Order: sequence, then structure tokens, then C-alpha cells
Amino acid sequence: MRPCRLIPALAIAVALLLTGCGARRSSPVTIRFWNGFTGPDGRTMLRMVQRFNAENPDVQVLMQRMDWSTYYNKLFVAGIGGRAPEVFVLHTRVMRRFSEAGFARPVDDLLSGPEPLDAGDLDANVWAAVRFGGRHHGLPLDVHPLGMYANRRLLREAGVVDARGGPALPADGPSLLAAARRVTKSAAPGQPPRWGFVFANGLTNAYTLMRQFGGEFFTPDGARCTMDDPRNARALRFCADLVRRERVAPAPESFDAWIGFRQGKVAMAFEGIYMLADLRKQTDLDFTGAPVPRIGPRPAVWADSHNLCLREGMDERRLRAAWRFVKYLSDHSLDWAEGGQVPVRRSLRDTERFRKMKVQAAFARQIADVRYLPSLPFVFEFETELGIAVDRALRGSASPEEALRTAAANVNRVIARRRAAGVAP
Amino acid sequence: MKSGRRRDWSAYLFALPFLALFGAFVAAPVLYGLGLSMTRWELLSREPAVFAGADNFREALSDPYFWKALAATFRFVALATPATVLLALVAALGLHALRGRRQSLYRAAYFAPTLITISVAGILWRWFYNSEFGLFNALLAPFGLKAPWLTDPAWAMPSIALMTVWWTLGGPVVVLLAGLQQIPAPYLEAAELDGAGPWQRLRSVTLPLLRPVLLFVVVLNVIGAFQVFGQVYMITRGGPEMTTRTLVQYVYETAFNNYRMGYAAALSWLLFAIIAALSVAQFRLMRER
Amino acid sequence: MRRARRWRAALLEAAVAGGALLCVAPVALIFVTALKPDAEIVHFRSLWPQSPTLASFREILGNPEEIPILRWFANSVLVSSGVTVLVLAVTSSAAYAFARLDPPGKRTLFAIVVGAMMVPGQVLLVPTYLILNRLGWLDTPLALIVPAGASAFGFFLLHQFFLGVPRELEEAAAIDGCSRLGVFLRVVLPLSRPAVATLAIFTFAGAWNDFLGPLVFLDSVDRYTLPVGLALFQTSYYAEYGLTLAASVLCTLPVLLAFLAFQKHIIEGIALTGLKD
Repeated sequence: MRPCRLIPALAIAVALLLTGCGARRSSPVTIRFWNGFTGPDGRTMLRMVQRFNAENPDVQVLMQRMDWSTYYNKLFVAGIGGRAPEVFVLHTRVMRRFSEAGFARPVDDLLSGPEPLDAGDLDANVWAAVRFGGRHHGLPLDVHPLGMYANRRLLREAGVVDARGGPALPADGPSLLAAARRVTKSAAPGQPPRWGFVFANGLTNAYTLMRQFGGEFFTPDGARCTMDDPRNARALRFCADLVRRERVAPAPESFDAWIGFRQGKVAMAFEGIYMLADLRKQTDLDFTGAPVPRIGPRPAVWADSHNLCLREGMDERRLRAAWRFVKYLSDHSLDWAEGGQVPVRRSLRDTERFRKMKVQAAFARQIADVRYLPSLPFVFEFETELGIAVDRALRGSASPEEALRTAAANVNRVIARRRAAGVAP
Repeated sequence: MKSGRRRDWSAYLFALPFLALFGAFVAAPVLYGLGLSMTRWELLSREPAVFAGADNFREALSDPYFWKALAATFRFVALATPATVLLALVAALGLHALRGRRQSLYRAAYFAPTLITISVAGILWRWFYNSEFGLFNALLAPFGLKAPWLTDPAWAMPSIALMTVWWTLGGPVVVLLAGLQQIPAPYLEAAELDGAGPWQRLRSVTLPLLRPVLLFVVVLNVIGAFQVFGQVYMITRGGPEMTTRTLVQYVYETAFNNYRMGYAAALSWLLFAIIAALSVAQFRLMRER
Repeated sequence: MRRARRWRAALLEAAVAGGALLCVAPVALIFVTALKPDAEIVHFRSLWPQSPTLASFREILGNPEEIPILRWFANSVLVSSGVTVLVLAVTSSAAYAFARLDPPGKRTLFAIVVGAMMVPGQVLLVPTYLILNRLGWLDTPLALIVPAGASAFGFFLLHQFFLGVPRELEEAAAIDGCSRLGVFLRVVLPLSRPAVATLAIFTFAGAWNDFLGPLVFLDSVDRYTLPVGLALFQTSYYAEYGLTLAASVLCTLPVLLAFLAFQKHIIEGIALTGLKD
């Protein structure tokens, strides 16, 4: 490099160094934000994060996302190594586990701090679900209940119509059965088969029905599993009958039963609001959303929530910045809802913008009736057993009573093992 | 004849970089991970790891899910490994006999599935196998057939094995082909001059000379098959009714869903012992002849 | 006689080609389906796209803020090449040492190395993470390259191949005054080109497709490799098919092309040089 070129280069380098030094004195606080929002959810969240960063130059939020199963693995592997992120998302059903391990810092004191948030604006049942040991360990961002997605064309073609000729969405058990029967029979010979219903997710669907029939899963003290409660068995029998007796739903698959609905071959399916973004891509599908029909005597629907949690042990400056970010997300939860979620801020739901989100608004009508999975430290083992029982009943390899009995026995073995090891149930 | 001591030294010098990396990033984690098998360590509890002796192993041997997972694993190995190795050998022999430019093209075709990452391969075959809405049954529908690929426990594991054969055939094909290419032509020419037909040349020249490479392929395939996880997890998640849940998936769920690191480590030790025993048996079997 | 041979050759080629076609068909399906618009993908009306579109590709490539795919591609190239070079260098020397020289404790060491392959990788995840954390390598390419260097697979593969190299050639070179290292570099390695090239391909493809390692050891989306980035279009229970397939094409195509180009260098090894002397 010739000398005369060196000097301007040096000057630039020195200038950069100086500005670098200057910038370092008031460098932004870095907040790491981890979550499991892959898919279109994730891109919605990313845009919210980018907007926050733009509006808050003194804070830099770095988001990392991966699919949920690996997310939870990575979260605690990082936690062990002391590298847990500042802000992270926890589902309500695993909250107890993580809060007992001291992972998530309670947020009650932050609600009344310099950036206050009115806890009364949150749905009471959703807010109560994150309360352990008298304190709330995260701020709910949304609730994602199950709901009914319906194929309007199939219903109309099967003659399941209301007075105006539009599709009549069933609101109870008998009308659900009637509608499903009509659709399943309505396939013309030579055409591909049609189904009235499909179990897009056996576990959540069955859990919803079990709760509707009033079944309990544990004794009040949590010491014994009562999954084989006859009310649960009755609910499971209703599900199994759809497949095996009424033949209005196909045999269960481990995955991708949902594809059938997207293909337009199924009239009704119960899935979470989060499937909305996926459905929107199916531009040739005329679908609508509605609350899950009331099949059992009690109103109930499976749901889970995404909660924004803060790591323990942050310094004051970082904590303020993290809370500011969390509050921002909550205040803008309508942006989040656009992607297929239901916000839990009642004031935000009571707006024209939310009312225009037809499917989300329909699913939101069920909020008072949402039932989370039992709050357990061993929630994954519980889910596995329940899933196996539902699978066996739907497949017909065991009666609902037998399947639930085996599952309850297995869960009780887990409880016994934990008691023997001195871990609290 | 060089002095024995000088040869020993230079051997370890040659192997030093490998041994250093191996010690730090393979041996150390393995010892740590397997050492956990003697502790009771529930992650996400405030309790530290507690020494538990052989408790975890006792629990494993009386755990019906362990035996169920072991059975599923054995079923998979029995279905996938012989098929993969035999088909790979046949394909490699065919490719080797082919010579010419197109050989490279065909070899690339056999290897292409291996380049598809596991998550995409899993999604693809899940889609193929869906009994209601999948591609295979859509193709069979005009003939009035409908196979319960993943919904019937008797079909599920063979379906996964079939997918595995497709996905992993390329590796052994490439390795065996390289091994075949390394056999000096003069040996085969000599056999031909002696009047040996193609089958006899195969049996008495090619296969014996191929044995070290074949042993490698078989041993590696068995080791890999016993550790099958990715494709099962993606295609059935262990269903239907946990009949396809292999041992590694059980280890994975025990460690990362149920947060029981000690027990997961004990299960891994048991799996390791089984694989090691089988590998030793294979080495002996294929060397003695 | 010649006609029978030509028939046999044609049948052989047909059989080989048939197998190749079966293998390649699903891969081709991925490529073709990636050209379908999202709404068309779930239907199986026809294998070919009725209204082909590059929409999925455009969404992936045209969104560097949300999907920095070129950055991911560069990271994948860097990491995969780094791993391949490291593995080749490190395992070839070690495999040669064990195949030819006779160190004490050779059998035990060999058993330990091969034995390490029998431990499920998931068990190693937590300890490796802790070690890398201590070294300060997390969220850097070092975390992906260095631990992968001690490839037991590579060691085992080359060991078996080196066993098949005729000793006479090495001894001849040694008599000519070549040092150990010289024999290794100038005689053995060139003769083992098929094996070395094979290992290179496997290592590269394996590193390219490695998913769990980069996922756990990397934090910043900017440092991701392609498979991890690709996973952003999938959730645990469903996938955005169009984006996933398009990303898969972008992920697979480079390695496939590299394989096609590279394999021309795998010349028939010893068969040509042989024992002509």
C-alpha cells in the first residue's frame, strides 16, 4: 500500500476507534429473548422485537427461536451452564416445574414499579394459573385454546345448513354427530372419501371432552392419579365411538391428521388458534372458526398460554430493560394476535381491531372455560400416559376404561417413585 | 529391522492430535455422562446430584418401558441393517461392474437421499405414509388398496425401516464401491485366467479382499441402527402406542422431558453394553473366517 | 457371444439405474414440490406443479432481515469445510499409526475409540455444553469444528482402508530413504485416495446436516448453519411446507453439486498403480 493511501486509512481507523470508545460508554443493554416460536408465529414475534429495538435504542433485544421440544432442552442446558437468557417463554403447563427450580423470577413487584401494568386487565383464570407459592412467575402474553375449525363448503354440500342457507356449526354433541354423519355420507361414489371429523390432536381433544364431562385427574392433594374416573372414561368413549362405531372420523395418525382438513376432505376439527396462520395459506379452503361444541355437561376447553418470564439474578439496569420489553409485548399483544393468538388483555380485546379478527374473536369467547393441564412437576410423563391411553382407545386396541386404568396405574408409579426419592409430589 | 522403541514413539506422535481431541471432546464427556448413571439427578430441582449406586440400573431392569423400547430397537435393527447392507453390496457390485461415465451419475443418485437432512426426510415420509391423506395410499387408491403404514403397530416399524433403507443406503454404497475399487485388478485378472467364472471370482477373490471394508460397513450400520432416533421421532414420535419408541428416544425423553439425567445415563450404559457385546461378536465372526 | 454380453450389460445397467431412480425419486419430488404454491402442496392432484411458482424461494431469499439465508449458507460452508479439513488431517495420521505401526496398548485404544461411537450422542450433550462453556467457545464456529475433529468414524474407516494398502510399496519407499512421514504423505495417502475422498464426502455431508450441535451450541441467529435455520419453518407438529421444501432444496443442492463435481477425482485407486513392479 502506498504511503499516501495509508494516511486517510489511518485517519478513518482512528476516527472509528474514537467513536467506538465513545459509543461504548452508553452502549445499549443486551437482552436475550428465547422462545419456541418457529413458523409464522416466529416471524410475527420477530417483527415486534425489531419494532421494539427501533423504538428503544438503549435496549437491544436478541431473539432466538427453535421448535418447542428442543427449546425446552436448550433452556435448561443453558440454565445449568449459567447462561439462561434474560427473557424467555414458558408454557403454563410447565410453569410449576420451572418456578420450583428457581428459574423464573416472580414479577409481582414489577407490576407496580416505574412501568406499571394493571394485573386486573388480565383474564383472572389465566393470571391465576401462573401463581405458585403466592407469587406470579411470569406475565401471560396470550392464551391459545382449542376451537372448532369447520369447512363451510363440505357442511353446505352435506345439507348442514341454517335458515339462511349458510353452514350450521354444531354447538352440542347431538348436532356434532348429526353433522358429521351427514358429511361422511355425502361423498359421491367415485369421489375421494369425506370425513365429518378428524382427531387432529388426540390428547387435547380428549382432554377437552374429559373436562366437559367433569372428570378429575388427581385427588385434591395430588397424591393419587384418578385418570380412570368413570367420567373420563365416558368422554373417551364418545371420542372412540366417533372412530369405531359412528365411523365419522378416520383412525388416528401420530402426525399430520391435520393435512386432511387442509386438503378439504374433513368438515370439522378441533385445533388450537395457532393453526390459523397455517390454514390461511390454504387459499382454496373456505373455513371458519367457532367455539368447541358443548358435548359434556360442563363448559370446558383445553388451552395453554405463553408466559413471558424473567431470569433470576439480573442487575437493576438489565431488569428494567427486560421488564420494559415484556410490557411492550403485552401492550402490543394485538400485533401478536394477528398471527393467530388470543390476547389476555381484556382492554385490548374490547377493540374494533380485535373484533375484526373473526376466528380469534370466536375462539376468545371460550376464555372463561379454559382448562389447563394439571399443574405438575412431572407433566410430560403425565402427557405421555394420557396420550397413550387416548391412542389405544381411538385405535380400539383397548376399551377406554382399560386404557385409562393402565395410564392411571403408570402415573401412580411415577408418583410413588418420586415419593420414594423424597421429591414432593 | 528397525528398533521397536522408535516405532512406538512415532506412532503416538502421529496419533497425538487425534488422541488429544478425542480425550477432551469424546472421552471426557462420555465418562461424565456415563458417570451420571450412578447418581440421582433431577434437573430443575434445587437438589444436587446424589450418589445412588446401582439404583438406576435396578430400576431400568424392572421398567417395562425399557424392555418395550429395547424390543422396538431390536426389531428395527433386524429389519433395517441386513436389508441396507445387502442392498448396498448388490448396488456397489452393480456400479463397479458398470464402469464408464454414468457410474458417477448413478452413484450420486444412490447417495442423494443421504444429503437430505433428517427433519425434511421425516416430514416427507410422514406425508407419504399418512394412511388417510398421504401419497402412497393416494397412489394405491385406484387399485382399491389402503395400507395402514403407520397406524398399525405391525406395519409401523417396517415402514420406518423402509424409509431408513432409502435414507441410509448411499453411505454403504459409496464405501463399498471405494473398497471394490481398491481391489487390485491383477488379482481378478489372475483368477479369470485360472478359469474362474464371475460368481467364483466374487466368492473367492472379491469378497475376501473386501472383508475389512465390509466389516466396517456392517459394524457401523449395527451401531447406528441401535442408536436410531431421528427418523422415528420425526415420523411416529414412538407411536402407535409407543410400539416404535426406540431406546435412544426413551433416553432422550427421560433426560430432557422428564429431567432425570441419572436414569437416562444408566439406560445409555445398558445400550452401550449391548452394542459393545454385539460389535465384539461381529469382529470375532468376521475375522475368524 | 458378444450379443449375449451386450444384453447382460444392458440388463445390469437397467437394474442399477432402476435402483438409482427409486432413490432419487423422493429427492426429485422435494425439488418439484418446492415449485408449487402453498395451497397446492397438500393436494396430490398431480406430481408436477399446476401453476409453478418461485414464491417460496422468493420468500426465503428475499427476506434477509428475518431469514438471513446467505449468512447461514456461508456459516455452513465455513463449518463443514473446517470440520472436513480437521478430520482428514487428524484421523488419517492416527489411523495410519494404528494400522501400520505397532504402539503398545493398540488393541485397547482401538476398542476405546470404536467404543465411543456406541454411546448415544444425547447423553454427551450436557457435558459437552459445559466444557465448551468453560472454554468460552459457545456461539462461535469453534464449538462446531473442534469437537468434531476426533471422528471415530473417520478413524475406523481409514484404518480399515490402510490395512488394505500393500506393505511392499511402503517398504520400497522406506528403502529409498523416505522417512515415516514421507512414506505416509507420498505413498500411502495418494494410494488411499478413494478412502480419503470418501471420508471427505461423508464428513462434509455430516457436518453440513448436523442439527443438534449447532442448535444447542449457537445462540445468535446470525451464526446458524443451514439446517438450524431451516428448522425455523417447522414447529413440533407441523411445517410450513412451501418454505421448508424450498429451504431444503437450497440446503441440499450445494452439497449434491459438490459431490457430483468432487467424485470425478475419485479415480480407481490402487487398481491402476497396482503391483506392476
